[in-house]
Amino acid sequence: MTVQPAGGPASSGLADVIDTILDKGLVIDAYARVSLIGIEVLAVEARVVVSSVDTYLRFAEAMSHLEEEMEERAPAEQVEREPLRGEIEREPQERELTGTAEELQAEELRPEQAEERARVRRRRREED
Amino acid sequence: MAAASYVYGIVPADVEVAPGTLGVGEPPGEVSLVTFGKIAALVSEVDVERGPLGRMEDLRTHQRLLDETAAEVPVLPFRFGAVMTGPGAVADELLAPHHDEFASALDKLEGRIEYVVKGRYVEREILREILAENEEAARLREAIRGRDEAVTRNERMRLGEIVEQAISAKREEDTREVIDALAPLCVAVSEREPTHERDAAYVALLVEDERQDDLRRAVEELGERVRDRIEVRLLGPLAPYDFTPPE
Repeated sequence: MTVQPAGGPASSGLADVIDTILDKGLVIDAYARVSLIGIEVLAVEARVVVSSVDTYLRFAEAMSHLEEEMEERAPAEQVEREPLRGEIEREPQERELTGTAEELQAEELRPEQAEERARVRRRRREED
Repeated sequence: MAAASYVYGIVPADVEVAPGTLGVGEPPGEVSLVTFGKIAALVSEVDVERGPLGRMEDLRTHQRLLDETAAEVPVLPFRFGAVMTGPGAVADELLAPHHDEFASALDKLEGRIEYVVKGRYVEREILREILAENEEAARLREAIRGRDEAVTRNERMRLGEIVEQAISAKREEDTREVIDALAPLCVAVSEREPTHERDAAYVALLVEDERQDDLRRAVEELGERVRDRIEVRLLGPLAPYDFTPPE
């Protein structure tokens, strides 16, 4: 459970940014816009869920690993799930196979401007 | 240089931009306003001849400016990459024809802000669940166990397919639970398409400013409740990317 600090998404991952600003928001009519966008650094495909052969094989592989872990432990231990949590993220296999997505996820926004004052705010109305 | 206007979003006309606020591109232009009637566009100059935008830094600049703006004033965020030929085009081709629609959308967003709740299944736990619930999965697991991948490819494909389908079904259920838990605190809720194979829920929420703390607490409680199988994250406050009117 992570709750981002109030006052800005300063530490959200790049994948979150991509999901948001490449997928959501208003779009200018095609005729009116100038085309100069190249998403040069982004493996945008990485954010799309695809039911691919790779996904299936990866799940199957994870299942077979899961089995080995379960066998190493006595059956009575099966209820004790807690100590194992978190380890799976470090399995080289998973890291390799989901590399791009995980890298994007791990990419941190630089918080350099987090402390600065609001850049866009309401003007004081002198006439009020 | 061939200058064009990069558009970040639409705000009410009565806002100001802090001098020296820099936008996307290299070198970055200063962010300014193009005003028309009751609305204004947040823009900065970009050089069309300098090649494509889209560096990570540009994406971050775009989102940071909009999210910071949303914390202060209502804003209609644009998707990354909106570039028009110049301030004149922004006024004449964007603001003028859509003035009333944008103005009323901004009114509706006054005092409201977006959050996004993301749930991701803990892989080990979700696989255990599926094994326990699905006999075919258990049987296939036996079949591939200790055997070469090339020889058991069919079984692996089928097992993977079962896992994928089971997760889809669980995602639907868990998304429902997230929405049921949080919708009462929100003005509006919008589901996002999953972007990861282990996504458990991906939901955008529009909340009143004064309910933000309630929402954070509710998400925290939800996260505690499901923590064995789902990692819950709350992103925000964000510009209302998911609650802008359709183009």
